[in-house]
Amino acid sequence: MMNTDKIQALFGSQLVAVNIGPRLFGEALEKQHVEVVQVDWRPVAGGDKQMQELLAALGI
Amino acid sequence: MDIKQAIEQANQKAAEILTKGRPVWVDVQPAGEAIPGMTPDTILIAGPPIAAEDIPLPVKNAICGALLYEQRAKTAEEAWQLVTSGQVRVEAAQDHDAACGAAMATSASMPVCVVEDKTYGGRGFCGVHPGNKQNVLRWGFYNDEVQDDLVWFRDHYGPALGETVRRMGGIDLIQVMGKTAGMGDENHNRQPAASMYMALQMIQAMMDMDFPHRDEIVKQFAANDRFFLHVMMAGAESVLASAKKVPHSTVMVAMGGNGVRFGIRLAGTGKRWFTVDAPLIEGLFLKPTYTKNDLLGFLGDSCVTEVYGLGGMSASAGPGYVVLTGSTFADSLQRAADARKVCVAEHRFAPIPWDGGQGFPVGVDARKVVGLNILPTSHGGGTLKAGGQGTMGSAKLPMDCFKQGLVAINEIMTSEAND
Repeated sequence: MMNTDKIQALFGSQLVAVNIGPRLFGEALEKQHVEVVQVDWRPVAGGDKQMQELLAALGI
Repeated sequence: MDIKQAIEQANQKAAEILTKGRPVWVDVQPAGEAIPGMTPDTILIAGPPIAAEDIPLPVKNAICGALLYEQRAKTAEEAWQLVTSGQVRVEAAQDHDAACGAAMATSASMPVCVVEDKTYGGRGFCGVHPGNKQNVLRWGFYNDEVQDDLVWFRDHYGPALGETVRRMGGIDLIQVMGKTAGMGDENHNRQPAASMYMALQMIQAMMDMDFPHRDEIVKQFAANDRFFLHVMMAGAESVLASAKKVPHSTVMVAMGGNGVRFGIRLAGTGKRWFTVDAPLIEGLFLKPTYTKNDLLGFLGDSCVTEVYGLGGMSASAGPGYVVLTGSTFADSLQRAADARKVCVAEHRFAPIPWDGGQGFPVGVDARKVVGLNILPTSHGGGTLKAGGQGTMGSAKLPMDCFKQGLVAINEIMTSEAND
C-alpha cells in the first residue's frame, strides 16, 4: 500500500502557486489571498517558429 | 568551429571595439576632402539608401538647397534634375562612415567634424551642428538666410573650429562624457553638460588664437547647447567604422531613417540594410496644433548615438528628457534595462549614479532582440512632412529589421559552412 502521508500533508499546508508566463492567472489567485511566485518566462522569439529554428542554429 | 562559436567570437570582437574605441575630435574639414568616396557629385543623406522618386519633401529641399549652395544649379528644379538624371548621386551617409541629422543633405564643400578612433584607427564624419534655429537645411529648409549661414560655416565657423581642435591636439569625447557623468545628459537629444564642458575647454583656446570674426564665432559656439551631438555622431561613426569590419557578428553597426524607410545594418552582413516602413517618433508635439498626420516617418542618423550605446539605450542617464517627452522616470530605467538585456557590452566611462552605478549598454545583438522579443528604444526628433521639427520623443526599433538580419546572417554562415 502506497504511503500518502506526504501528499496529505501537502494538501493540508498553505498553498503557494508558481505562475509561469502571463501574470493574469497569478493575479487572480492573489485576489483570493493565495501566495504567488511569478516566473517571468516568454517563449523564444515570441513564438515565431522560423526564428526559433534560426536561433537554434545561430545561438542566443 | 561551429556557427554559434563563430558568432560568439565575432560578437566578442565587436564588443571589444565598441568599448575600447577612443573617439577623439581631431579636425573640421570639407566633406569632399575628408569623407572616403565623397565627390563633388555626391550628396549624403540620412537612413538607408532611397530612390530619388521616394525622397520626402524636407530631404528633397535640403538636397536642392545643398546643390544651389554649391552653385551646381540656379533653381531648385535644375538642382533636382541633376539628381533624377543621375549626374548627382544621393547616397546613405552611414555607408561612408558619416551621419546626417534629420533632413540634412551633406555636399562636398560643407565642413564636417572629423573624429578619429585612436585605438582602432577608424574615422567618422558629421556636419557641424547648425544651432537651435528651425530655419536650417537640417530641418528641410533653404532660403537666402540658410545660404548665408552655409557660406559662413564653410568660410569662417568651420575653419575656426578646425583650427581650434588641431591646436588643442584633439578633444577626447570619452573624457567629455566621463567628466559629465551624472549631469543628466543622455547624449542624443539632451547634451547641455557635454556641450558646455567642451566649450569650457575650447573657448580658452579660441581666446588665445587670432582668426577672423573670433568674437562672433565664440559667441555662436558657446550659445549652442546641442553642439556636442554632431561631434558625437562623428565619434560613434569613427568606432563603428571598425565594428563594421567584423565578419559573422550579429551586432548592429548602423541605424537610421530616411523618412520613408527605417533600417539597420549588422556587422556580419556587410553593406546590406534591413528595412521596414519608418515608425513615427512620438512623445511631445512641439506645437499643440500638430498631429500624427503631420509627421514623416523616422528621419535622421542621429540615432547612431544609440548604436554606440547613448540616447535611448542609456535613457536612465537622462531621465529629464524622458519625463519631458511624456514618459516617466521609471520608463527611463526600463529603457536602459531592456537595452542591457539585448546588448553585448557596457561602457564604463560614465556610470549612472541613480541607476545603481551601471554604465551605458552598447552593441545590440540581433539574436537577443529576436530571441528575447525585447525592442530597444531610440530617442529622436520627429520631422514634419512640410519640414521642421514636429516632435521630440522616442520610437521602438522595429523587430522585423532584426529578423531580416538573422535570416541574412544564417544564409552567409550556412553557405560558408558548406564551402
